[in-house]
Amino acid sequence: MSDLVLKDIRKDFGSARAVDRINLTFRHGELTALLGPSGCGKTTLLRMIAGLEEPTRGQLLLGGTDITAQPAHKRKFGMVFQNFALFPHMRVIDNVAYSLAIEGMAKDSRHKRALELLDLVQLADFGQRRIGELSGGQRQRVAIARALAQEPQVFLLDEPMSALDAKLREEMQVELRMLQQRLKITTIVVTHDQREAMTMADTIIVMSNGQAEQIGPPQDIYHRPANAFVADFIGRTNFMDGIVQSGILRIGGQPFDTNPAPNFADGSAVRVAIRPEMPSLDDTMPTGNRMTARITFVRNVGSTRDIHLDTPAGPMIVEYAIGENARDFTVGDQLDVHLPPSALHIFPATATDRAA
Amino acid sequence: MSSQSIDIGLSKATEPASLALILGKAARVVFRVLVVCFCLTPFLLVIAISLGEKIEGAAWVWGFEFTHYERFFVGADWPNSYSGIYLQKLWYSLYYALIAAPIAVVTAFPFTYFLTRLTRRAQTVWLIFLLSSLSLSEVFIAMGWDVLLSNRSGLPMVLRELGITDWMKATGWFDVARDWGLASPRDLKFKTSLFATVLTMSYLVWPYAVILLYPALSRLDTSTVEAARTMGAGPWAVMRTVILPTVRIPLIGTTLLLFVFLLGVYVSVTVFADPSQHTLAVSIYGSVRGSTLNAPFGAAQSVILLITAGLFLVLSQILVSYAEKRR
Repeated sequence: MSDLVLKDIRKDFGSARAVDRINLTFRHGELTALLGPSGCGKTTLLRMIAGLEEPTRGQLLLGGTDITAQPAHKRKFGMVFQNFALFPHMRVIDNVAYSLAIEGMAKDSRHKRALELLDLVQLADFGQRRIGELSGGQRQRVAIARALAQEPQVFLLDEPMSALDAKLREEMQVELRMLQQRLKITTIVVTHDQREAMTMADTIIVMSNGQAEQIGPPQDIYHRPANAFVADFIGRTNFMDGIVQSGILRIGGQPFDTNPAPNFADGSAVRVAIRPEMPSLDDTMPTGNRMTARITFVRNVGSTRDIHLDTPAGPMIVEYAIGENARDFTVGDQLDVHLPPSALHIFPATATDRAA
Repeated sequence: MSSQSIDIGLSKATEPASLALILGKAARVVFRVLVVCFCLTPFLLVIAISLGEKIEGAAWVWGFEFTHYERFFVGADWPNSYSGIYLQKLWYSLYYALIAAPIAVVTAFPFTYFLTRLTRRAQTVWLIFLLSSLSLSEVFIAMGWDVLLSNRSGLPMVLRELGITDWMKATGWFDVARDWGLASPRDLKFKTSLFATVLTMSYLVWPYAVILLYPALSRLDTSTVEAARTMGAGPWAVMRTVILPTVRIPLIGTTLLLFVFLLGVYVSVTVFADPSQHTLAVSIYGSVRGSTLNAPFGAAQSVILLITAGLFLVLSQILVSYAEKRR
C-alpha cells in the first residue's frame, strides 16, 4: 500500500519561515504524532499534507504520485480539526454522510453508511441529534466518523483532544488508537501533549522551529533523546553542566562513566541530561558514578516521591518509587546519589543553548 | 440586643437595594413613555388622520370614515366605476422592492465574503469607505445615476461610440432591448426603465447589505469550510452546502430589511420609473405634500403600505419556520 512521502518541504509566510527542510515518510497503516511546542510548525505541516496550505518548496508524494499541486478536495484526506468543525446546520447523521453526499451517493445508502460509522464510534443512537445537543467527547467522535466516511488514504487529526477534559482525553486517546489499529489507516496526529503522543503513536516526530528534531518510536524518543531540546520537551529531565576531558565526562570536577563513551573533542563543554526516575538513592548501589547530595524538599505524588536534591552539579529531582522497602527521606539529610552510566545523555553545550 | 442589631443591619442593607429597585422601575417607565411618544403616537396619529374627512378645496377635519381606504381599493368613483390604480401602485412598490432587495443581497454577499477574508487593515478601510458612502443622500445617488444613464453622456453614449449599438441593431438584439423597454426607436435608452429604477434602488441599499452581512460572515468558522474541502467539496459545493446554510438567517434578515426599506424609496422611482409605474411612496408624498393635498388619503395609503410590509414579514417568518422544520 501507499506511503506518504514529504521531500524537502518548506513553508514561508512572508518573511517568516514556518516549516523548513522536512523530509519524512509516513508508513502505511502507522500512526505518527507530530509533537512540538506551540508555533513549531506542526499544524502548518499537517495543513500542507491536507492540501489546505501550499508548500513554498518541496514535494508531497502518495504512493509515488506527486500530489503537491492537488487541491484539498481532490486529495480527500479525512481531517479532524481542533474545534471539530462540525456543521451546525446539519444533524449528526448528515454531518457524517457529508462526504458521501458530495460524492453523489443516494440518501438511503449514505445514511446507512453513516449509521455504520456512528456505530463504530459508539454513537449509533445519536444520528438525529443536532450538533448543539452533543458533549465535547461526542462531538469528537462525530468528527472522527465524518472524516472516516470517505475512507481516506490518510487520516489527519489536528490536536483532536485539546477541547476535552483530562479524563475524557485519556479515554479517547486509547479509543482512537484502537480504532486506528482496527482500520489500519495511515494516521497523522498533531499534538503538543507528549503523553498523548506516547500513548497513541507508532512513531513520534518531535518538531521545533519548523524542523524535525528527532523521529523515532516513543520509547526511543524518551530514552534516547537526540538532543537537549528533545530531552527537555519529552518528559522531565535534570540538566547538569559538564566537561569532557581525555574521553572522560566530568561533572563538578568529578569523573563519571558513560555508556556509550562521550565522543567529544578534549575540553568540550557539554550538558548532561538524566531522567528523574534513573538516578538511584538506595542504600546499596554501585561504588562509581556517585555524587553527594543534600535533600532540599520531598514531594509526595501518589505512587512515587520526588526528592529534590542539591548536588555539586546543581539542583536535581529524583523520582523514587514507594515500595515495601522504601527508605525515608528527611529534608536536610546528606546522601549519595548514583547516576547509571547508560542513563546519562550528553549533548554539546552550544546546541543545548540553542535548543533551550 | 442581638435582634436589634440584626434589624439595623438589615435596614442598612435594604436601603440601597430598594433605591436601585425604584430607579430601575423609573427607568422602565421612562422607556415606555419614550416608546409611546416617539413610536406609537405617530403611528396612531397616522391611523387617526386616515379616518379623517377631506374638505374639498380646503384641509381636513377629524372624523371616523373609511372612504379613503375604500378609495384605495376600488377608486374614488365607486360604485359608479372601479379603479385599481392605487392597488397597482402598491404592486409596483412590492415589485421593485422584491427585485432590488435580492439583487443587492446577491451582489453584496460575495463581496462581503471576500472582504472578510482580507487583512484587518484592508477590511477597516473598506468598511470606512462603505459607511461614508451611506452619507450620500438618495437624491445625490439618483442624480449620479441620472448622469451615468443619460443618453448624451452616459452608458448609451459609450455603447454608441463603441459601435455596440450598431452591432445590436445588425444582430437583432436591439429589438430585444426595445421589447424590454431599454431602447427608443433609434438608440439605447436606460433612463425611465425598470432596469434603471431597480439598478438605482439596489445601489442605494447595497452598502446596507454589506454592513448587515459583514458580522455574520466575519464570524463564519473557517474551519468548517476547510473541513468541507477535505471531504471532497469544491468551492461551489462549499458555498452551497456550508457557507450559505450557515448564514441563511442573516441572509433572509438582510433581504427582508432591505425589502421593507425599499418599499419607501421615493426619489429613485420619481426619477427613473415611468409615471404609470410609480409606487405608493410617490403617491403618498403626492397626497400629503404634492398637488392633491389630501392628508387623510395619504395616511390611509401609509397604513396600507405598513400593513403590507408587516404581512410580508410575517409570511416570510412562517416560510422560514416551515423550511426549518422540514430540514
